[in-house]
Amino acid sequence: MVEKNNNERQRVKLVPEFSINDHQDVLVEILRRLDGPSLCSAACVCRLWSAVARNDSIWEELCFRQVSPRPSLPLRSVVSALGGYKRLYFLCIRPVLARLPKIIWSHDQLQLSLSLYCVHYYERLYVGAWHEDAPPSAPPSSLMFLRKPVNVV
Amino acid sequence: MKRDLHQFQGPPDTRFPNHETANTGSSSKDKMMKVKEEEDGGNMDELLAVLGYKVRSSEMAEVALKLEQLETMMGNVQEDGLSNLATDTVHYNPSELYSWLDNMLTEFNPPPPEINNSFLAGAGGSDYDLKAIPGNAIYARSNQFAIDSSSSSNQAGTTVTTTTTESTRSMVLVDSQENGVRLVHALMACAEAIQNNDLSIAEALVKQIGFLAVSQAGAMRKVATYFAEALARRIYRLSPPQTQIDHSLSDTLQMHFYETCPYLKFAHFTANQAILEAFEGKKRVHVIDFSMNQGLQWPALMQALALREGGPPVFRLTGIGPPAADNSDHLHEVGCKLAQLAEAIHVEFEYRGFVANSLADLDASMLELRPSEIEAVAVNSVFELHKLLGRTGGIEKVLGVVKQIKPVIFTVVEQESNHNGPVFLDRFTESLHYYSTLFDSLEGVPSSQDKVMSEVYLGKQICNLVACEGPDRVERHETLSQWANRFGTSGFAPAHLGSNAFKQASMLLALFNGGEGYSVEENNGCLMLGWHTRPLITTSAWKLLAAH
Repeated sequence: MVEKNNNERQRVKLVPEFSINDHQDVLVEILRRLDGPSLCSAACVCRLWSAVARNDSIWEELCFRQVSPRPSLPLRSVVSALGGYKRLYFLCIRPVLARLPKIIWSHDQLQLSLSLYCVHYYERLYVGAWHEDAPPSAPPSSLMFLRKPVNVV
Repeated sequence: MKRDLHQFQGPPDTRFPNHETANTGSSSKDKMMKVKEEEDGGNMDELLAVLGYKVRSSEMAEVALKLEQLETMMGNVQEDGLSNLATDTVHYNPSELYSWLDNMLTEFNPPPPEINNSFLAGAGGSDYDLKAIPGNAIYARSNQFAIDSSSSSNQAGTTVTTTTTESTRSMVLVDSQENGVRLVHALMACAEAIQNNDLSIAEALVKQIGFLAVSQAGAMRKVATYFAEALARRIYRLSPPQTQIDHSLSDTLQMHFYETCPYLKFAHFTANQAILEAFEGKKRVHVIDFSMNQGLQWPALMQALALREGGPPVFRLTGIGPPAADNSDHLHEVGCKLAQLAEAIHVEFEYRGFVANSLADLDASMLELRPSEIEAVAVNSVFELHKLLGRTGGIEKVLGVVKQIKPVIFTVVEQESNHNGPVFLDRFTESLHYYSTLFDSLEGVPSSQDKVMSEVYLGKQICNLVACEGPDRVERHETLSQWANRFGTSGFAPAHLGSNAFKQASMLLALFNGGEGYSVEENNGCLMLGWHTRPLITTSAWKLLAAH
């Protein structure tokens, strides 16, 4: 692209340099095609990219890339109600994928991840009520078994 | 490479991508940004985790400081100081930046001996004294042990210290395997003495069990401690520490048990799968749950119903539970939470909670059943039916009520072991094997407060099993074949759990520690979850025989 600009400069007035940061919709399209670790690296690049990466449709694409047929619209509303695709990815899908690497990602794993995600949402409804004596920063989570010990957030 | 530490704390603001820290005047905006910052902090952690770094973004500022400290120290130290590090120390995973740096720094500057270890050391001292410990003190010790592990695991990054202290303990022990065999023999002999009413012999044996138990480590120690306490209570005729009325405590304990190990999750997921399949094509469904507790089983079912082909049915739930100790309407609270969830996922939801001291107090007329053409009913019971076996006629009455309900499916989850034989010694032997296996399976779980609470949960069951008699003894577990007999004579036929349930269960178990040790078996259409070769809990489904 830069070379083209150089050639064109001879005939035309200066063309401004292309910056991806000015075209966030293009950035979203690019990020949607990344895999998990690359997407997380991209989200750590700068604050703008971090904000763009918060777009849930990117994570939806990541979650369902290998599942066919593509899940339907009711699924999107249910997942959004339960907390969004990004959280689904981090809490359920990524640990499940990590621990079941040999299994082809299919509808069954998706169903299991969704069930676990739903239980997690339900428990968060209880955060105030249950662990009154525990420190408030420790919500109950049945997904604790999916997390490695240091990473408890 | 000195970074501006504030960069990690300021929230990203897309309008000013180069803005360092936003110091605006208004307090509400600060509060909003603080909330956003906490959320971003959480996201940052996850992003770092994917990249392989186990560090919290809130700790990044301290990590940077420590890196600088380490750098200066390494510059100042002489050669032999560094070579010490190479040979004598245990190195931790460098991707856990925070604890690794901590460790490196303490190697250079060894801190004064930690005071909290003296508590453990004091307890350790009494280990090696080997004096006889009377019955009650065993219980006090197991409490202490419970407090030990929970306090040490609460400190950040000190899970390592608990394992090192435990490993130093086992290095000093000798002949622990021989002691293990003696321990089991002592337990059996004590139970036999109680069976023969030789209470003085039993008393002497219990004391011996006490100090044999502390010579063990891990699961055997815990199991032996709980059984010894229960035996002591039986010998001295002491009532159990908490009566069965304290339901809120047992709810909490069951919650911890749910989080720590897969048994309850297995139970819920397999029962839900059976119910889901039975409800196929029905427009209005009704579930009657005999084991409401915190309602943990139902979110997953509601989510599956919400996403099924043809859209969700109208979902009605009737929850039955014992009265709460403080008279609070806890079933009502559970219903509210479930309603909140149902609204979020767009499932029409109706709820009714019933308080009953025992399931046998129920009557079908109370349940407001609607005609079966309109509404399909399922009945669910997880670890509740065995409690009825203590009352004469209890289980028959309940099965009669279930038949009156005419459910399309009746899912039952029970422990797979016979703890209801007429002879005390047989019950004792069976339960010793059963709970040893159960505690063994918990050993793979990293130590945490959850794990301790799960063990207390199981300990309560042990106590009830061994120390109580008559109507007080509610933990009357029976095997699948015994239940199958009972259901068969009452007019139920088995409904086979499909391969979907089996697949889901296998996947769920594979998530727990790689699934090592756990096994799912199919037995006459019922699914059994076991540890190695020993089945521990069974999910079965039943439907009414047409003739009845």
